[in-house]
Amino acid sequence: MISSRIASSRIDISRSVSSRSVSSRSASSPIVLPPCRSGIVCLVAALLLCAAPASAHEQVGVAGGLSSGFLHPLTGPDHLIAMVAVGIWGAQLGAPALWVLPITFPIVMAIGGLMGILHVPLPYTEVAIALSALVLGVVVALKWRTPFIFAAAIVGAFAIFHGYAHGTELPNAANPFAYALGFVVATGCLHLVGITLGLLLRWPMGDRVLRALGSVIALLGGYFLVVSLGGFGA
Amino acid sequence: MSRTSTPGRWRGTILALAVASWGAEPAQAHIIATRLGDFYAGAAHTATDLHDVVLWLALGALAGSLGPERGRWLVPAFPLGLGAGFGLASWFGVATPAPAVAAALIATIGLLLSAGMRLPVLLVWLLGAAAGVSRGLANATGTMAATNLPLFAAGLVLAGYVAITLAAALSVAFRGDRQRSETGWRGIALRALGGWAAAAGLMMTGFTLAQAGTG
Repeated sequence: MISSRIASSRIDISRSVSSRSVSSRSASSPIVLPPCRSGIVCLVAALLLCAAPASAHEQVGVAGGLSSGFLHPLTGPDHLIAMVAVGIWGAQLGAPALWVLPITFPIVMAIGGLMGILHVPLPYTEVAIALSALVLGVVVALKWRTPFIFAAAIVGAFAIFHGYAHGTELPNAANPFAYALGFVVATGCLHLVGITLGLLLRWPMGDRVLRALGSVIALLGGYFLVVSLGGFGA
Repeated sequence: MSRTSTPGRWRGTILALAVASWGAEPAQAHIIATRLGDFYAGAAHTATDLHDVVLWLALGALAGSLGPERGRWLVPAFPLGLGAGFGLASWFGVATPAPAVAAALIATIGLLLSAGMRLPVLLVWLLGAAAGVSRGLANATGTMAATNLPLFAAGLVLAGYVAITLAAALSVAFRGDRQRSETGWRGIALRALGGWAAAAGLMMTGFTLAQAGTG
């Protein structure tokens, strides 16, 4: 009974096959697809119908500026891990670092960005960024509780270098304002990721996980530091 | 046979329709080509410049963060400033402000928002009017000889009024009551948004000034 219902629910699509392909097949074995397959075929056909041309090259205008700015901190692993570590450390330190950090960090970073835009010489930028990942990873791993002013000074100093690296790219962006907005928002979102990860501190196991994450960040930071100093054949 | 095969066919049709609807583009209505086109041009012109979008949103967030009793002064001040700026540029030939002015305004508003200060009402009013005049002057560049200036100005002012009112109302609703907002995450989130706007504004101020310096 069930098999007969399944058989009767199949859709015979042999009529849609071209005559040449039909002639090459046996007439007694028509191509049948179950209903779910027919849905997928329709879906794929409709998707192909709606396909837009791929933009293989760089975008222009506001969209181009926004996307390149937003992706700049996300595609640089040294930036990415350092910013997440800043958020985690803020969560470990608690108030006021937890809320002062996301408010002031972008502004301090903008000073570095301004230096980059104006081509003010700032040596060892890449080294300092890699060092920031190493140092911030270590303080997260050790769960180092330092006075707020000292923590703000460490993070602020590194923010200048991160901002500088982003700022040097700004004049070449498709839309400089959109680029600036994109990388500031991406950096803020990375802090938010770190602060959200900091919610794990509520559980003893979460505390250990975060400290382990700090160790991984420190190791990666160490690797980037060696690379920026010319190690590993860089 | 036909009853049992129908659901499969319908499922495919519905899926195809859903995907086709998903990829649908907005219909181009004809009203823009009528004599009211300049009104819509004025209202839509602001959306073509990211400076306008960011400045308006930041100003609305600032109004909301100040609370209804102080922030409401921005609701009339900003659109009136827009109209005044547009009028000054269109009928009195006042020059468009340098691009650095818009960036500096964004930086100032962002810094005030991130600082979380309780600003005096007069300063709030002056800030809204100054931002409005500046952007009104800048938006006057979107007109041509055939543009109906009063219609364009009406569209611009109405867009400013709607945008600032909605942004302020949204941030008031988001912030909640003052006691909680000063220590709660919602108030901090609003101040963080101010930090983002300030950072982008500061960099753009430097960039536009540097560009002007190099000619």
